[in-house]
This record gives sequence, structure tokens and C-alpha cells, in this order.
Amino acid sequence: MGEIVIELEHVGVAFASQRNLAGARYWALEDVNLTLRRGERLGVIGRNGAGKSTLLRVIAGILRPDRGTIRRAPVSCQLLSLALGFVSHLSGRDNAILSGLMLGLRRREIEARLPAIREFSELGDFFERPIATYSAGMNLRLAFSVAIQVEPDVLLIDEVLAVGDAEFQEKSAAALRARMGEGHTVVLVSHDEAQIRERCDRVLWIEHGRSVREGGRDEVFAAYHDVLEHPAPA
Amino acid sequence: MRRHLIELVLFSTYAELRAEAARSYLGLIWWVLEPAMMMGAFWLVFDVILKTGGPDYLPFLLIGMTLWQWMKSCITHGGYAIWSNLTMVRQVNLPPIVFPLVAMLSDTVKFALIFLLLVGILWAMGYPPNGSYWALIPLFAAIFVAAAGAGFIVAAIVPLVPDLRFVIEQVLTVVMFLSGVVFPLGQVTGLLKTFMQFNPVAVVMDDARRILMHDQLPNWIGFWKVCVIAIVLCAAGALLIRALAPRYPKLAS
Repeated sequence: MGEIVIELEHVGVAFASQRNLAGARYWALEDVNLTLRRGERLGVIGRNGAGKSTLLRVIAGILRPDRGTIRRAPVSCQLLSLALGFVSHLSGRDNAILSGLMLGLRRREIEARLPAIREFSELGDFFERPIATYSAGMNLRLAFSVAIQVEPDVLLIDEVLAVGDAEFQEKSAAALRARMGEGHTVVLVSHDEAQIRERCDRVLWIEHGRSVREGGRDEVFAAYHDVLEHPAPA
Repeated sequence: MRRHLIELVLFSTYAELRAEAARSYLGLIWWVLEPAMMMGAFWLVFDVILKTGGPDYLPFLLIGMTLWQWMKSCITHGGYAIWSNLTMVRQVNLPPIVFPLVAMLSDTVKFALIFLLLVGILWAMGYPPNGSYWALIPLFAAIFVAAAGAGFIVAAIVPLVPDLRFVIEQVLTVVMFLSGVVFPLGQVTGLLKTFMQFNPVAVVMDDARRILMHDQLPNWIGFWKVCVIAIVLCAAGALLIRALAPRYPKLAS
């Protein structure tokens, strides 16, 4: 069993519900516990509004908990964000560098990967043109091609497993599968049970910002389905 | 980590300048044309119409407006930068001070171009480059640190109180008129004169004109006071952003 890289204990996160000084707060996460070990692939499930994306941003270090404790080993955590920092008047090349820097890569690392990004994105000569001239599909292809280059210690993925047209969806899903199969530590949030079953060893189920169950994939899914099929009376 | 942030700030500055140049038909020309039009308007009102200027009024005004526009843009653009990048703040774990720094550096690059043009204009008007020009380096460094400090403080607060944006512009206009940017403060007396001696903007305006127009070095006592104020402002602004950083990604959009 790998060493613990991130551990959350009774973590809660509150957001401002209105843009004013006396605005009330609401708790997007109320009480979440989680243990992530090196090399583990953890799936996070739960219904809409359960707090899954908020949890990923806590693990990424973007959100600081308002209560509870988070312990992390000295590891880099990166949320796989598409089109981060993209500027429409810049070329695909410049946007790839900018987005790569935002995602935590050093400039020399991105520049070394530019040929791979250009090839993977299938943009050809458009790679040197402003992305304002791109179609939505071309934009997504570039965005995914940059994001997939990032190699943090802990990779955090929020539902962006396949983008673009059918052919590129297959290609991007395969690239991500390959990345997840390389022994990286991964946290994957998805509504797609098949994806979680295929790619994760363990599962955390959260509802209304609270941990319901964390454990082996089959055990947690069995409990999840049991509640979905036999909901408790209101 | 630190080197990565430096690379990010420098490339983002390049990206912002490049994108800004591409957004309009005249591109880079606007960086010079826009301040030139504003200087022209002030010259028309204060010198041609109101006749409040004197023989040296035009170089006096050009120096004042060039430096003021730089300071003001650092404070406003830098000051609104975290607020206008809140979407990004919610997506990525970066120190928020990166955003105002990028805005201030891109304004500084634009200032450098305008300043070169100013030197040429001054030369043509009979104020050639002189031996005191070296003192512009510490003077500009102090101005940047002071403006960055004021910009950081505004940048820290605006995401929490966006209404502050409506006040900042008006406050800066008052500061401009009380700092000898547009007209000399020689005739000011009494309490206001004492206040002026502690107004860092008035001090740097005076120092810049001594160097550029009269081949004289700055008033060093006043300059060191400005340096102390600049360092205190900058440290306070950076610490405030750091202290408030956990709140920004949790703000309502």
C-alpha cells in the first residue's frame, strides 16, 4: 500500500452566496473525509450539487477549508483544466505556452512539447494562427492537447475525459486512459459509472457535502445503488 | 516554483501586450496616440484657453502627464486585475498577486515607449538629454514600487468590494490636481503647502522635471522619503493580497 499523499478530516468549505459585505454563506462541503495514497486511482461519485467539483478544488489547493483539517505530503496536485488562460487574439502556439505555464509547467518543458501538442491537436498551419479563427472543436483540441501534457504527482480530473468530434473523442479518451495507466495518482469525478468502474480502484461517495462511504469500488457502488433504488422515506 | 512564476508573469505580460495590439486597427499606435490626445486636451484647456501656463508650460505638462498616466494605469489596471480574473482564480492554484503584476508590467512597457517619445519631443523643444538622466533610474524604480504598492492595496480590496472601482477614478483625479501634474503648485501656501511636501506624487513630479528640464539631480531628502513610503505601500499591499487570497475563490460570481 502506497504512502498517504493527501488526507482530509471533517473538511468543510463555505462560499459567499451574494456579492455584498453582509452576505450569507452556504456550505458546499460540510463534512468530508478522504485518504489518498500514492499510485491510487480514486473515483468520486454523488448526485448533482453533492460537492464533487468543490472537493477537487480543495485537493488542488485552490480552496482552503473553512473547517476540518487537510494534510498533504509535498506533492504537486493539478486540476486538468481545459483552455486555462486562453487569449483569443494569440496564436495556438502562444496559447499553448500560456496555458502550460498556468497549469504549472516550466517554459522549457512546454517548448519541448510544442511539436507533440501541434501533432496531437491536428491543427496543422492553424497552430500559428490566432485562436479567434478556430472553430469550437479546434479550440477544444488545442486545449486538450495542452492539458494532457501536464504531469503532476496527483492528477485531478473533472468530467473532461473526451472532447471534440467522435474521432478526437476516441483519441483524447485513449490518451487519458494511457496517462491514468502510467501509475499516477488520480482523482476522477464523473457521472459516468462505467468510466469510474473501468479506471478507478477505490471510490468515495459524497452527498450534500458529506462523505457517505469510501472504500473498494464494488462495495461503494453496491451501497450507492441500494440507496438510489430504495431511497429513505423523507 | 519562484522561477516558474517569473516565467508565467513575463509570458503573460507579453501575451497581454500582443493581444491588446491585435484588438484594434491601429494596434501599437494607440499606446502613444491615446496619451498624446489627452496631453493635447490639457494643453488646449490650461495653456491656450485659460492661459494659466507659462513659457515652460508645455514640457512641464508633457512630463507630468506622461508620469501620471503610468502611475494611474498601474493603480487602476493592476487594482482591478484580481477582480477581473476571478474565473481563473477559481480554476488554478496561483498566487493572486500574479494578475496585478502582469497588468502593471504591461503598462510599464507602454510607458517605456511613451517616455522615449517624450525624450525626443523634449529634445526638439530645446531640452536635450543631459548628465542628470542617470537619476531617472532610481526615480522610476521608486515610482513603480509606490504605484505597485497602491495598486496591490486596491487589487486586494476590489474583489471583496467591487463598488470601490467607482470611487478610485475620482480619488485619482483629485490626487492628480493636488500633485502638480497639470499646473505648478508654487502659489500654494499654508497648510496645503505642508501637505504637498509629504505628497509623494508631487515630490516625484518635481524631481522628474528637475532632471529632464533643468539638468539637476533630485531633492534627495524628498526622494528617500518617497522610497520609504513606496516600500511600506508595496509590502502592505503584497501582505494584504496574501492574507485575503483564500477568500477570492469563494466569492460569488
